[in-house]
Amino acid sequence: MAEIASLERAAWALMTLLNGCLVLLLLYRRNHRNFFFFFVYALTNLLQAPVLFESYRIWGFNSSVSFKIFWATQALVAAARTLAVAEICWRILANYRGIWALGWRLFLGMAAVVLVHAWVIGGHNWPVVALNADRSLWLAIGVAILTLFLFTQHFEVPFEPAPRFLAIGFFLYSCFQVLNDTVAERWLKPYAALWDFLGTLAFLASLLVWIWAMRPTEQPVASAPELLPEHLYRSLSPAINSRLKALNEQLGHFWHAEGKKT
Amino acid sequence: MNFAFYFFLAIIALLVVVFLWSLRGSKKHAAPAPPPSSSLDLPGGHVAYLPQIRRALSSTDYEYASARIPRQALLRMRRERKQVALGYLAALREELIKLVRTAKVIASLSPKVAPKQELERVLLAANFLWRYRLIRLSVWAGFAPLPQINDLSNLLSAYSVRLEEAMKEMGERAALVAEMVSSPDRRRIHPV
Repeated sequence: MAEIASLERAAWALMTLLNGCLVLLLLYRRNHRNFFFFFVYALTNLLQAPVLFESYRIWGFNSSVSFKIFWATQALVAAARTLAVAEICWRILANYRGIWALGWRLFLGMAAVVLVHAWVIGGHNWPVVALNADRSLWLAIGVAILTLFLFTQHFEVPFEPAPRFLAIGFFLYSCFQVLNDTVAERWLKPYAALWDFLGTLAFLASLLVWIWAMRPTEQPVASAPELLPEHLYRSLSPAINSRLKALNEQLGHFWHAEGKKT
Repeated sequence: MNFAFYFFLAIIALLVVVFLWSLRGSKKHAAPAPPPSSSLDLPGGHVAYLPQIRRALSSTDYEYASARIPRQALLRMRRERKQVALGYLAALREELIKLVRTAKVIASLSPKVAPKQELERVLLAANFLWRYRLIRLSVWAGFAPLPQINDLSNLLSAYSVRLEEAMKEMGERAALVAEMVSSPDRRRIHPV
């Protein structure tokens, strides 16, 4: 356990260093304007570390004041993270007005369903309630990012490298956090140190992915392509669908005919 | 507690698998190879070969040949007919994919998208693809009635013509949609 604690401290120091590098890189490459909420997220994450460090130093690790400070800063970071993920979704789809209107409702809907479901499935007794809220939020973020990837794949919307890597970083970390919270909930005490350490490692991995993503200066969102007139979609989309429907019916006939013959 | 534990583990495993699958796909269209066509490549290209295919797959043709040629040649002919059927089915699938892709581009460049239409298209395409795989497998195994493919092709041709007419009405805009389909970076294109 003592070894894990010293490793954890080293990982914490490295995490703070890398987080600082990420903030500086965002400023140096002027990407803080293009990814404003991601910059806010990185900054709140960076500031959380000294605030927690000070609170642990003054009130001790197990004090209720430190506990409250931890969850208060965690709520701030979670809000910044949610906005950063929303910003990535917006950056990818904003130029495509029609599918963006469909997309944001889908992401929000999926995230809300997952949030509520995870909340219901998880326990409701304190301190599990805070853990459960944290896990539900992480899961909702993971599902929203996955939906974004599936959505862009379906509509063949180009996914720029920088937001793509940012989204990958968020997805990996959110998956690990869900696992982390789940394991922490089941074996709250005995493995807490180990899982805290693994959580820090997962965050380090995400930080490296984000630093990689922010290496080049990202272009601001390109001007929107001229959209097609609305009636084109209204007239062609049902025509294509009815054709697909008839094609399916024919395949059904084909299959039935075969059944009769064999 | 136990249920929640395994539930979340299963959810994460599922998310990771779907995510890896979606990454593979997104990589593919991150740098798409532009198709050479400059006009909207509407499905229906197979129509030109329809008479030959129909002839090759007709049962009368097969019966006529079976009475006149040796068994080995007949087996070879059967094999070749199967190849023709498989190739034809593959062409149908390709046409479906082109059609769906065109629909996607139109949707992505439309100011308003109907969720019902989009969902319906996803379900229809999925339905077609699994049936196609089943039929392809049965043709490959030698169970499918080959001449039935004629009906399928008639259907495709009829709808191709209808859609082509609709697209002609759209004139230049339809051609620009095609440019967008073929462009690796749709943002550079300004249709109006």
